[in-house]
Amino acid sequence: MLVASGTFGFGEEYAELVDISRLGGICTKAVTLAPRAGNPQPRIWETPAGMLNAIGWQNPGLEVFLEEKLPTLRQYEVPIIVNVAGETRAEYVELAARLDNVAAISALELNISCPNVEHGGLQFGVAPDLTEDLVGAVRQVTDHVLITKLSPNVTDVSAIAQAAVAGGSDALSLINTLVGMAIDVEGRRPALANITGGLSGPAIRPVAVRMTWQVAEAVDVPIIGMGGITTAEDALQFIMAGASAVAVGTANFVEPTAALSVIDGLIEYCRHHNVARITDLTGAAHSGRQ
Amino acid sequence: MLTTQAELTRREQVAPEHYLLTFVCPPIAEQAQPGQFVHLRVTKGLEPLLRRPFSVMNVNLSQGSFQLLIQAVGQGTQILAQAQAGAVFDLLGPVGQPFPLPDGAEQVLLVAGGVGVAPLIFVAERLKEQPAPCYVQGLFGAQTEDYLCCWLEFSTRCDEFATATEDGSAGEKGLVTDLLDKQLDRGGVDRVYACGPVAMLAEVARQCQEQQVPCWVSVEQRMACGVGACLGCVIPTRCEGSQHYQRVCREGPVFAAAQIDWEAMSPELDRC
Repeated sequence: MLVASGTFGFGEEYAELVDISRLGGICTKAVTLAPRAGNPQPRIWETPAGMLNAIGWQNPGLEVFLEEKLPTLRQYEVPIIVNVAGETRAEYVELAARLDNVAAISALELNISCPNVEHGGLQFGVAPDLTEDLVGAVRQVTDHVLITKLSPNVTDVSAIAQAAVAGGSDALSLINTLVGMAIDVEGRRPALANITGGLSGPAIRPVAVRMTWQVAEAVDVPIIGMGGITTAEDALQFIMAGASAVAVGTANFVEPTAALSVIDGLIEYCRHHNVARITDLTGAAHSGRQ
Repeated sequence: MLTTQAELTRREQVAPEHYLLTFVCPPIAEQAQPGQFVHLRVTKGLEPLLRRPFSVMNVNLSQGSFQLLIQAVGQGTQILAQAQAGAVFDLLGPVGQPFPLPDGAEQVLLVAGGVGVAPLIFVAERLKEQPAPCYVQGLFGAQTEDYLCCWLEFSTRCDEFATATEDGSAGEKGLVTDLLDKQLDRGGVDRVYACGPVAMLAEVARQCQEQQVPCWVSVEQRMACGVGACLGCVIPTRCEGSQHYQRVCREGPVFAAAQIDWEAMSPELDRC
């Protein structure tokens, strides 16, 4: 059970409210080489059972991450997955290279799916050849476990998944947000300054479950499923669709202890159904389909 | 900051679309400082999904209660406006930086616009309770007399009090910042605290800078997490000449007025 990138900051924001040590890991807010100010306001807009966001990778940059954020994160004694993001191929590679000898990190999550930046991010996640090239380049400079975070804003998610695996990705996480938009009808303008934003929350869950299912049929690497998980039942849908792990995202904003409640619910489900390990259920729906 | 529950014990309409809500929740009553807010979940369901932030208007330590003044403008506030006594809500609080209250007896000017009066009522109360009580001047502006919500709660905590309405139905006809202008001209004001629409706050900040009076403002912003993680609620601020964004939920909601990049603050924020 992880918490998804961008929804749990660098851990410290939730430390006084959540027993972080119960989590299976933290995916950090996107880290870029240089500090980024992020997008202008408005950055968020509530939608039915969801929200749009266009934060724009606001983060203090790699150096501050290593000097200030990482030491704090380590105190929680949970695996740390650093979400790395760049505008160019060279930035991803340099980030990965500079994080390679950082032993406190358990894995890198390659962000090729953020829809809210002008350059980089999603650009690398919509074409299989670009995905494979970028993952391959990062693979060459790091021995860390490499997770590629996939976008739902593609024609064929299986092709991107296969490209990431071909490039050397050890695992895949999906889905990032769906590109969406809202209009502020009083102002007669886009609700977000960025015009479009990423849709997250329970509203996107069926899309995310479907993509988890498709990717599970296309590749053999572990999948971290996410997209609108708020309850144990939601998490079980992803697991049975083929996920080996799951992440809670937007629900953290609504209820800081959401991920812990999901853990409790999964334990309860396993007890009730005599399941020895939760991963015994991974992909269960594939064999059970009619 | 903690996650807890609060029981609504009283709901009272104080103006068109404006409601005063009383909640029992001893830890919030004990811990809340003027300017801090609670982040309230209006439903257990998914509609609306996100919590709603409200500044604490005052606390009653003996009853373990606190009050919120809400304007029913959207889905979340309308649910609260119709909630019945006995309803229990999840909340996160107290959140954010409070107004930095003076150590000694100062002359403090409070400038409230509309529903922005709420945190200033709490400020006024604490300023008068200090070992060396402050001299508190309150200025309150609204569209019409009807919208001077909780003016009695405000005025009784002030040593001097004046109102302005846009239609002249109560007090001076005009804007509350017209009153501020005259008050600052008279001199003697040691500091200013303000809460209200962005356009009002920008004018308050401008006047205070001109007169070199320290000023703090409480600002609003659309908010998701309330704990500093999502970076959704930021406002543009200036630091050593360069612009950067700060979080209303962590570094705010109270900011030194001189810190805010007012030109980049959109008046559209007022429709939040």
